[in-house]
Amino acid sequence: MNVIGTRTLLEKEVRRFLRVPGQTILQPVVSTTLYFVVFGAMQQGRLVEGVPYVAYIVPGLVFLSVANNAFLNASSSFFICKIQGTMVDILVAPLGPLELLTGFILGGVVRGLLVGALTWGASMLFTAPHLAHPLWTLLIVSLSAWVFAVFGFMAAQWAEKFEQVNFFPTFLVTPLTFLGGVFFPVKALPELFRAASLFNPVVHMVEGLREGMLGVPASSSLGVWLLVSLAVVATALAWRLLASGYKLKT
Amino acid sequence: MAASPELPALEVDSLVKRYPSLTALDGVSLSIAPGEIFALLGPNGAGKTTLIGVVCGLVKKTSGRVRLLGHDLDVDALAPRRDVGLVPQEVNFDPFFTARETLRIQQGYYGRPRDEARIAQVLEALRLTSKADAPTRALSGGMKRRLLIAKALVHRPKLVFLDEPTAGVDVELRRDLWDYVRQLRAEGTTVVLTTHYLEEAEQLADRVGIIDRGRLLLVEEKSRLLARLGERRLDVRFREKTALPVGLEGTLADDGRAFSYVERAGARTATEVLEALYAAHLPVADVTMAPPRLEDVMLRVLKETRA
Repeated sequence: MNVIGTRTLLEKEVRRFLRVPGQTILQPVVSTTLYFVVFGAMQQGRLVEGVPYVAYIVPGLVFLSVANNAFLNASSSFFICKIQGTMVDILVAPLGPLELLTGFILGGVVRGLLVGALTWGASMLFTAPHLAHPLWTLLIVSLSAWVFAVFGFMAAQWAEKFEQVNFFPTFLVTPLTFLGGVFFPVKALPELFRAASLFNPVVHMVEGLREGMLGVPASSSLGVWLLVSLAVVATALAWRLLASGYKLKT
Repeated sequence: MAASPELPALEVDSLVKRYPSLTALDGVSLSIAPGEIFALLGPNGAGKTTLIGVVCGLVKKTSGRVRLLGHDLDVDALAPRRDVGLVPQEVNFDPFFTARETLRIQQGYYGRPRDEARIAQVLEALRLTSKADAPTRALSGGMKRRLLIAKALVHRPKLVFLDEPTAGVDVELRRDLWDYVRQLRAEGTTVVLTTHYLEEAEQLADRVGIIDRGRLLLVEEKSRLLARLGERRLDVRFREKTALPVGLEGTLADDGRAFSYVERAGARTATEVLEALYAAHLPVADVTMAPPRLEDVMLRVLKETRA
């Protein structure tokens, strides 16, 4: 493995998003914080599963920050390489699928975790911090960031226009998120959606995070294994696409 | 396996690249020795960039074999690329970084530990030192092209592909680059060059390959090729209207004041023709002798093979 090359790629990814912190860090934190302001004010005093509503939505909003930013970093960075022609530098260099996936996906994970942590920090303005199981929280949040960064990477490899990169967040990630228990327990959904939610990975991510942060048990103990399986399958698929040169090599 | 001096830097065997509606490479076989400067010439769409693309991992071959610095690319495509540099045709740059940072990143991609001295050396050689810490978006077009060349060289590659490196650049950069390519050769670097400026190939190349429609038409030492197929041109102006001595080949202009002769292998030399003009006491006012040009050779080869 080209360790120096991988480290360089990861460093470049992190430095790239740190060069525009207003766009890559501050803006997502501010927009997520607005959810606390609006929902916190509207649902003041309400308890959900024994937890004040403002505290209840913290794991979901942290997840939103992590997932969105992991996805956006991997997708925009890799797609911009295609658009501005610097993909040539990456493809000619001795960087194989292992190095490329590690560099780009970890870059997305780092941004996702950073924005997630800042969102959690912002939540403390509205509610007391809760961290019932720190390691479990870290595991779930890292798995979520990894999965969404892989999705972002694959979306960028597939896309030929910026519009297509945004296809996934708009038509896949957002519906899964809003039906994924970010703002309410999935038990509150109609029966059909509740059954379908078992196949929604976001449900397991949010419930896992809620368990880790608030100590509220997840509805299924299989959730984490589903997430691990999803991460493995998604990474293997991304590996395969990259190794085949799909839409990268003629 | 490391490349040893006796192994070719690049060996291409029966390389084919087919697209649905086009055969870009049609059985190309080629061997390039370590330390030589090889110029790959041909018209637009001939297959030059495709060939470089296959070797550098940008294009997937249909069939054939490529050995790069002693490594079969079907067995290990990555290891030999640590010692390869490419200057692509299209200028690219990452606007988030300065020229110096770009070179650090490039060094890292190739698995090299950071070497600030080497970066400074390459920046200096390509006259980028004064702009080293400026954002790349602030560089002029010529400077971006210089940075592209610096990126291809900063990791000290053994084999460098220069794909139209001076397309659209000023004379100064072109001359700088020529000097630098000669320096690379002196250091033992192998250079594969494609160019539309055939003067560039004349200046630099040890050997020349001519490719057209995906077929490699010939590969030959430049000096031998020019001697074999080159045409030295003699142009003479006379002070007054003149008639040529009987039996003298060449073309006399209608006004009888200008004469031209193209020397080809096996025919009378231009010098002999000039001597004949003086021997006939013709009123010679001016003489111009143009050396054989690769451009003429290439056009001749293309014309003959297309006929």
